[in-house]
Amino acid sequence: MSVRVESLTAGYGKAPVLHDISLEIESGRICALIGRNASGKTTLMRCINGILKPSKGSVFVSDREILAMKRVEIARLISLVPQGNYSPFQFTCLEIVLMGGVSRIKSWSAPCRKEKQRAEEICAEVGVIDLVDRPFNCLSGGQKQLIMLARALHQDSPVMLLDEPNAHLDFPNQHRMMGLMRRFVKERGVTALITLHDPNLALNYSDDVVMLKDGRVVAAGPTELLLDEVHLHEVFGEEIMVEKTVSGNHVVVPRNSAG
Amino acid sequence: MKKTYIIFSFIAFGIALLWALATGRYPIGLGDLLPLALSSLGFDGQVPPEMQMVFWNIRVPRILLSIAVGSGLSIAGVVFQALFRNPLAAPDILGVTAGSSFGAALAIMFFTTFVVGVQGFAFLFGVFAVSIAYFLANRSWDRSTSVLVISGIVVSAVFQAGVSILMYLADPYDQLAKIVFWIMGSFHVASWAKVQATLPVVVIGSALLSLFGWRLNIMTHNEEEALSLGVDVFRWRLFYLGTSTLIVASSVAAVGNISWVGLIVPHIARYLVGTEHRRLIPTAAFLGGGFLLVMDTVARTISSSEIPISIITSILGAPFLGYLVIHRSKNEALDVSPG
Repeated sequence: MSVRVESLTAGYGKAPVLHDISLEIESGRICALIGRNASGKTTLMRCINGILKPSKGSVFVSDREILAMKRVEIARLISLVPQGNYSPFQFTCLEIVLMGGVSRIKSWSAPCRKEKQRAEEICAEVGVIDLVDRPFNCLSGGQKQLIMLARALHQDSPVMLLDEPNAHLDFPNQHRMMGLMRRFVKERGVTALITLHDPNLALNYSDDVVMLKDGRVVAAGPTELLLDEVHLHEVFGEEIMVEKTVSGNHVVVPRNSAG
Repeated sequence: MKKTYIIFSFIAFGIALLWALATGRYPIGLGDLLPLALSSLGFDGQVPPEMQMVFWNIRVPRILLSIAVGSGLSIAGVVFQALFRNPLAAPDILGVTAGSSFGAALAIMFFTTFVVGVQGFAFLFGVFAVSIAYFLANRSWDRSTSVLVISGIVVSAVFQAGVSILMYLADPYDQLAKIVFWIMGSFHVASWAKVQATLPVVVIGSALLSLFGWRLNIMTHNEEEALSLGVDVFRWRLFYLGTSTLIVASSVAAVGNISWVGLIVPHIARYLVGTEHRRLIPTAAFLGGGFLLVMDTVARTISSSEIPISIITSILGAPFLGYLVIHRSKNEALDVSPG
């Protein structure tokens, strides 16, 4: 299911954070959203998710305008893996994952056995089945993030938004998270928009890239064409090199770190 | 282990009920309870008429009211703690108690001394106070619960100031004592009329909150997350707040301000059955009813004159909460094993 953003201007208070943004994220692909801090990545996600009302422009998911839909309808189309994951109360991981199915459950009801079975299957797919009975707040940052991913998958929506899913994750867990996303996009045909700080992850795992600077799109399109030294320099304002390793992979490094 | 706790709770509740029925300034033997119960069905149980009068007109309505108020305040405590994402939130966080106290004091001073009249004023002002807090918060662009809490603090402060002014103006030999005793809370005013006014609100409200209990789990997350999961946070918040406020306002209006119940009982219930609200709400209702039943029995039997119940709930409740918090953190420290 594709996501289309048309002439979007949005922000908080009077000053806009995003300026006249237009882009399209194609169905069944991973799109990386990269840019410096305060470039408008999270604001764009909020607009796509219908959380923040833009002052101008529209967002369409499969030609349906987001703001014309009810919250429950949006949740059936879009799921979110949030940046922070703090709960003041001690839920078990299974209880957290089950909450992903709320848009399918009648308001006076609770998850049925089928829902529980489905949640456990997803936990198994994500590799967290051994955590289901553990208290969520007692998990490590990486484990929590995987539970959040399982909850979003349990929501079973065709579009997934992941807001800095790798924040607080160590090196292996960052690649585990991105590898899982790669697999789910391929297997389930979902469309994933992921905000990333590390261009290397975008280079390795994303099909497309949207590069933001000061609330404006610098470039948007296939990763292998756009994630080059010129665009990265424009986005990050640093001298950046894209080097080819002996194994043929590309790595992004700041020029001054090379010596 | 937790099943044992639940069975033990039922047995303890039964014992507390028998104790409350039998104990008081007019003692009733345990052997007289069955004939008294049967006497209402038309069987001649050969019990003295004054014992029947004490049992049916004083003790039973008082016990019913204490169970209803304890359950109602505990359920409201669970809901407020979930909505405000704060385990220390009490049901009076939005000013319902301050508003009710002001309404009761106003009625005692200027309008009526009939308990039902005071109850009506207390109820209306309790609901009015929360409505103002909600209206103020809705005027802000920030629709988070923090703004609602601040509005509640503002409204509470204004109504508390109003109560202080009324107490300052009150006749110290008559009205002041009535206002103070009302604010401290007591079940000595219990009657069938109060039971009839309070019980339906508490029962219907509690049933509704239990029915929609699972959705409350999602309300414990921040607004953005809950919205993303498909829950219209603002509409549901109004439902949970409105229903809980009616329960608290009718409880406070019936028996005055009762501290700590809405704060500590949800913690004990959470300790027993976890946070899942579909299980938590009925457990809190049961425990809250039992807790206040015991506290009221203590309040009316511990000395020759009745002690305001908030004194008892505070003296016993606060240290118990402290014990729970310390005990639980030790257990959790042992359980924690992040990978």
